[in-house]
Amino acid sequence: MLKRGLGIALAASVAASGCVQTRQYADVQFTPPSGDYKLLVLRPDVTVGSITTGGMVEPRADWTEQARHSIVDALRAQQAGRGGKLTIIEHRNELPGVTAQELADVERLNFAVDQSIVLHKYLGDYLPTKRGKGLDWTLGQEAVKLGQKTGYDYALFLHAEDQVASGGRIALGVLGLAGCFIGFCAPNIGGQQQLDYASLVDLKTGEVVWFNVVSAGSEIPGIKFGDLRTPQGATQMVERLLGRMKPGRAIREQQQQARGER
Amino acid sequence: MCARCLEISRRSLLVGGGIAAATLHTGVAQARVRPQDMVPLVGPGYRPTDADEKGLWKEMERVEEEVAGSNLLITDPQITGYLQNLIGTVGGPAAKDFRIYLARIPDFNAMMFPTGFAVVFSGLLLRMRNEAQLAGVIAHESGHFLRSHMIRSWRDQRRKTDIFSIGAMLAGIGGAGAGVYLGDYVQLAQLGTILSLFQYSRAMEAEADAMGAKLIAETGYPPIEMANIWQQLIGEEEASARYRVKRRRRGSLFDTHPSEGSRMVDLRADAAEITVPGKAYDNKRGRYLATIGPIRSMLLDDQVKLNDPGASQYLIETLAQDGWDGLLRFYDGEVWRLRNRPGDETRAEQSYAAAVAYPDAPADAWRWHGISLLKQGRAVEAKGAFERYLKMKPDAPDAAWVRQMAG
Repeated sequence: MLKRGLGIALAASVAASGCVQTRQYADVQFTPPSGDYKLLVLRPDVTVGSITTGGMVEPRADWTEQARHSIVDALRAQQAGRGGKLTIIEHRNELPGVTAQELADVERLNFAVDQSIVLHKYLGDYLPTKRGKGLDWTLGQEAVKLGQKTGYDYALFLHAEDQVASGGRIALGVLGLAGCFIGFCAPNIGGQQQLDYASLVDLKTGEVVWFNVVSAGSEIPGIKFGDLRTPQGATQMVERLLGRMKPGRAIREQQQQARGER
Repeated sequence: MCARCLEISRRSLLVGGGIAAATLHTGVAQARVRPQDMVPLVGPGYRPTDADEKGLWKEMERVEEEVAGSNLLITDPQITGYLQNLIGTVGGPAAKDFRIYLARIPDFNAMMFPTGFAVVFSGLLLRMRNEAQLAGVIAHESGHFLRSHMIRSWRDQRRKTDIFSIGAMLAGIGGAGAGVYLGDYVQLAQLGTILSLFQYSRAMEAEADAMGAKLIAETGYPPIEMANIWQQLIGEEEASARYRVKRRRRGSLFDTHPSEGSRMVDLRADAAEITVPGKAYDNKRGRYLATIGPIRSMLLDDQVKLNDPGASQYLIETLAQDGWDGLLRFYDGEVWRLRNRPGDETRAEQSYAAAVAYPDAPADAWRWHGISLLKQGRAVEAKGAFERYLKMKPDAPDAAWVRQMAG
């Protein structure tokens, strides 16, 4: 239930026009993982629903299942390209050596930290103490302990929700468009909305090293921005969300200097 | 625009509003749902088949995982086993499918989720005076599941918002075509839609009450106990409001539940209707108190620390109608001590003194009794009380201090 609140806040923070937006933040010292690293993906949170004629979102079990599979496949393919070893946990009791309660604690802590990141980085409530520090949040010892117990280098938390306009919603949009001819123009009643966010936690230091939000949506029902249910849509989403992972500012400056010196 | 248009629009708006208000008014005082009409709509081992309900169930998987792993839960197997057993008795055809979780939240509440798991707040266990009352609340929640309320409410919302959206669009286009502005009507229709959703929600609650009364009567609990719950809650809220010099909140058009008063009246009528003369009903009070005994002190402690002395006082006095004991007397004293108005200190002292006269007085009653004796200059008696406290609670965090006080 809480997750939805965070989603709504995030969705509200990006302009509700028909477009795809992404905004990422990284720890100043962050280098995107590459080579031989072990990544733990904790319970990817995927929901796909249908927008009813009246604008409510009806969750769909079959679509959610399809999307989850597509996203997991896309994630595996994408990470394999970087050289990382990937484990995806679907339930809290699936991680050897860690109890469900311990994992729940890490997840809940991460959720609280994510909320704080969203508030202070995306919703405009900027903190002067964190200015110029990139992404300066940590899960602390809880995450370090998880890393020590399991041997993973990073943990990835991923949320994806997609809302597909139903036939009725599209018809209502078409009606609104037809109204344009006689002076009542309302095609922009709200169509597909997709919101994805992910956070990467370094399990050696406990720090949240990278955070990204992708928001895609259309005010006009019927216009799509990548359908998570399809392999193509899921690959596109994973690419938008995780594919363009940028290093932190300090690292970028070092890289620029190195280039300049050459 | 023209003045005449405005006049017509205003007049018709008033008429429309009047009609809407009239229909809604009858909606608030809805007819009682009769227990015998409440037939379960789902059988044992129910699984959804429609896409919308499957979607709802899917969403609930993670919710239940979250609830089941919450650190707010009371997991004492004796009490959770008892609750599971109770819902397994009064849960009708789905009795064996239900899961029930007890959360440590000092408030009067219980809820059923669409997939058949219920959450009961610890504050409910404090308030229930016997097993029949608790069974009534649990049967009410089971009624929500047995009557498919979640998916029916969802479908009702979907249908009404669909109709409203299409209507609003047509009003916009039609209005544009005919050259009149219908926005005011659309707003009125929106209000009507919202109110009608709340009305539907209240109707579902009335169904669950009737279903619950039927279920517990069939299991052999006196159905009148369900009405008694509401009488107690009204009393508690009045006492709480009186202390804060406020008025108890009454029902409104925007409520999801019928007013407590109307629920009480309806449940009394239900009870009269379904009680079979000559049949033996048992409220199983003894078994209930024996089961919650180990956590009753925690329940009372959570309540008195809510800083709601009006409600706490009412609750303790209501529970004491079944007989005072050391625990109730001690927490009665705690309410006065924490309220701390002129004269409350004396009241608290009297309660502590009364509490220690019972064999089941908690250790803290002896501690506070000792402190009050010390304040009155009765050092010898105080010493005895402190010694009793230390004997009962040798590892108390303040043991060293009390030992020094006792001299």
